[in-house]
Amino acid sequence: MPTLTIDGREITVEPGTRIIEAADRLGIDIPRFCYHPGLPVAGNCRMCLVDTNKSPKPVAACWDPCQDGHVVTTNSPRVLEARRAVLEYILLHHPVDCPICDQAGECDLQDLYFAHDHRPSRHFFTKNHKAKQRALGPQIVYDAERCINCTRCIRVCDEIAKAPQLVQVQRGERTYIDVFPGTQLDHPYSMCTADVCPVGALTTRDFRFKCRAWLTHGIDTVCGECSRGCAIRADVYRNEVQRLVPRHDPEVNGYWACDAGRLAYHRFEAGRLEAARVAGAPAPYAQAVREAAEALPGAATGGVAVVLTPWMTCEDAAAVVAMVRSAAPGAVFAVGGAAAGQADSVLVKADKNPNHAGLRRVLEAAGVVLVPVDEVVARAPSLAALVVLGTEHAQADALAAALRQAPLSIAVAALDGPLAGAARIAFPGLSPYETDGTWVNEAGLSRRVRQALVPPAEARGYGTWASDLADRMGRPLAGGDAAAGKGA
Amino acid sequence: MLEFVLLTLLKILGFVLVFCIMLAAVLTWTERKMSAVIQDRIGPNRASILGIRAFGLFHPIADMLKSFVKEDFVPAGANRTLFFLAPAIALVPPLCAFAVVPFGPGDLVISNLDSGMLFVFAILGFGIYGTTLGGWASANNFAMLGSLRGAAQMISYEVSMGLNLVGIFLVFGSVSLTQIVAGQGELLWGWLPRWGIVVQPFGFLLFLAAAMAENKRAPFDLPEGESEIIGYFVEYSAMGFATFMLSEFVEVIVIACIAATLFFGGWQIPWVDPAGTAGGWITVAQVAFFAAKVLFLCWFQMLIRWTVPRFRYDQVMSLGWKVLLPLSLVNILATAVVLALIA
Amino acid sequence: MVKVKVVERPPADLVVQSWVPELWKGMKVTGRHFFRNVLTGKGIVTSQYPEARRPYPPRYRGKHRLMRREDGSVRCVACFMCSTACPADCIRIVAGERGDENEKYPVVFEVDFIKCVFCGMCEEACPCDAIRLDSGVHRVPAYTRADELSGKEDLLSLGTLSVSRQGGEFK
Repeated sequence: MPTLTIDGREITVEPGTRIIEAADRLGIDIPRFCYHPGLPVAGNCRMCLVDTNKSPKPVAACWDPCQDGHVVTTNSPRVLEARRAVLEYILLHHPVDCPICDQAGECDLQDLYFAHDHRPSRHFFTKNHKAKQRALGPQIVYDAERCINCTRCIRVCDEIAKAPQLVQVQRGERTYIDVFPGTQLDHPYSMCTADVCPVGALTTRDFRFKCRAWLTHGIDTVCGECSRGCAIRADVYRNEVQRLVPRHDPEVNGYWACDAGRLAYHRFEAGRLEAARVAGAPAPYAQAVREAAEALPGAATGGVAVVLTPWMTCEDAAAVVAMVRSAAPGAVFAVGGAAAGQADSVLVKADKNPNHAGLRRVLEAAGVVLVPVDEVVARAPSLAALVVLGTEHAQADALAAALRQAPLSIAVAALDGPLAGAARIAFPGLSPYETDGTWVNEAGLSRRVRQALVPPAEARGYGTWASDLADRMGRPLAGGDAAAGKGA
Repeated sequence: MLEFVLLTLLKILGFVLVFCIMLAAVLTWTERKMSAVIQDRIGPNRASILGIRAFGLFHPIADMLKSFVKEDFVPAGANRTLFFLAPAIALVPPLCAFAVVPFGPGDLVISNLDSGMLFVFAILGFGIYGTTLGGWASANNFAMLGSLRGAAQMISYEVSMGLNLVGIFLVFGSVSLTQIVAGQGELLWGWLPRWGIVVQPFGFLLFLAAAMAENKRAPFDLPEGESEIIGYFVEYSAMGFATFMLSEFVEVIVIACIAATLFFGGWQIPWVDPAGTAGGWITVAQVAFFAAKVLFLCWFQMLIRWTVPRFRYDQVMSLGWKVLLPLSLVNILATAVVLALIA
Repeated sequence: MVKVKVVERPPADLVVQSWVPELWKGMKVTGRHFFRNVLTGKGIVTSQYPEARRPYPPRYRGKHRLMRREDGSVRCVACFMCSTACPADCIRIVAGERGDENEKYPVVFEVDFIKCVFCGMCEEACPCDAIRLDSGVHRVPAYTRADELSGKEDLLSLGTLSVSRQGGEFK
């Protein structure tokens, strides 16, 4: 176990650890472009040069492994001068079009220039001109002039997506990144190349020119597109999701996320169910709650079926189950959900619902015995009441038909569609980006979902909806504020 | 007899209705224009007839038209009769006061009363009713406070105004304005016109102060202190308000007329025809001279009004009772002693 | 300790309290203004507004204008610097692809004059000399909120060619 000193602070690390990792652990900042903790080391940008007692010249901290007795200096005048020189070289042909560049505000080159160089260019010849706005694939646009050839994107394709589609072309100052002739950058993780790009060379078509990075505020949440449950950050501006970017979660997704999950937020941008509906006519939420609360206990004897969705959080599921059971003790439950899809070997799972595992745990704890959705659909004509939560159901059309057959049909839906249209009473629900709660992914890891957006005024989460309904029926859910207020 | 009536009506028409009322209307313009030029502004100049602006001289006409067509608002709870009567009561007495003012030699006075100045005091005393009734009939606390202030102020200054003219009466041995004017035609030591201001300079200052206070104009405009109680005519709109304003300006002219008559020799032109028997162009010149004196004194009052800031109410009352009244008495005493010594 | 400076009250002796000399002093001032302004009119500072307008000072900040390139297109590259700097959040920009080497341009550039405080921060923040407040055109009030919005075409109509070079290239 080598023990080394970085800027006077001692640390013991496992053999093979790079100096830059040790420094990161100590919280000592070493500037870098090409080094990325989730990627193999390339050591080509030379930005992370540090002084050590084991070499006469500064060495690249991302490449040099820690040795016992290493004494590393990250801020000696020689190191600072080396960084400045490296930066000047990198910036030699850079177009400095920050106003146009989407990366401005979250650009490593910008930040490091201000931190370590911060002087005008001494270059007085015409700058090299290279390809601009070159579409590398359906999601990615490449600007060769801004590129600093750190090769992070190439390594993402090679090592993470296992789809070697990018390559460095030419040499020296003419180097640029390109796809192989006749192919394009279209693997399911292509947008990760834009994430790792330290400059604005690679931009996603989705976020390109949409919003400046500094205007957004990021909310840490979880992707719901498959049962992997990747950690993502929703960047929000003016109550709209501008983009989703992966967060680092070593147990779940590392640093990455698939393109499909990152574009999923568009589904909730339009077609929302904005207001409750009773018998097809828009109604205030309170009126819809009143109607449902009056009708539901009466239907209890005739048979009540509830179709849950694996998109609801564990907390919402517990509240809904408690409410339904207190209103109709004999109610039967089924779990719907989106149809299974393709899985891959990197992140994507076949189960396209985020919280199957969590829902299973909640229902087991509550002692609920599930029936298949098909059975609910088959029994629909004989049911007194049918409640369908969510819209992400593979059998949505069958459920819609069942809703039409049931005398009392209730739907809670974020999106307007066949289910909301078929139900007698339809409540506006929340999108995953307006929800707060817990999802449990396929590996059994529970992760917090955070509310990123302010929902439409009338929309309620499943839990709030269940609680409102229970209050209205005169059987408030135990626990929480209601119990505290009324029990005293 | 018919001739007398017709002549009197002609004099009323010429002096009161044409000269005084027109002058009062022009004074509303003068007031605004003077405040403007004193404050380095331009003042009203927008009213125009056929594109002619005439320095804003049409503003009084525009104001009058506006007053006529505006809604005449009567507050709920107001005594309607008194509410409508009050502006008229405020306007008529000052107009009556012109009856005894000689605006020229000989018969050029509407009514040559022997009791002259006493008549003026008596009539002007009525003006209080306009103020008091206006405030009381409005059924408004602020108007009521304003009229209370007005009544107290006018009564207080009535006293000293009367007393500080006693000196003049002593000097000229009469209360008849005609005789006082005639007396001012004489010369002191053969060269100095024996005008009131020469023989009673102190009396003039006291009279001016008391008269301006009586008139409720700045710096004595406490009954309408905009920043404090808004005033006794706060509920008046349209013509009622305009009448109150007009009465104020008519009073300015009354004060100017009386001051001109008592202290500036009335229609007398120094060293020219003191008996007023010359007739012809001389008489015309004398009437014009009287008008000029009145205009000057109106201007002078305006200048004071735009120079001096407002008093506090307790200052007004203590000035009236503790300063002007004793000084008036001292003035009477001193005048009497001097006259006794000369005699 | 706070230092308290005691200022003597001006003397209120009998001469002052008699009011006459003080009144005379005051009337000398008002009278001076009166005669000077009536006779010469030189002291009057009022300008006859609708007919005679005071010229705006050269640094007056009026309505915004968007400057043009040599080819007449908008100079703005939709970098959002102005809307970021704007303390009133009155600038709304939607960026789009130009399709040439200049890459980015504002599809929508709206200034909400009901919000704008004419502070000039946008002008200062602009890296391209694209937005300026030197039009000298006064903002005209409108009857509806929608009319207060000034769009790209409106702002461009005031715009002229800028002398500064875009991109800051050496040639």
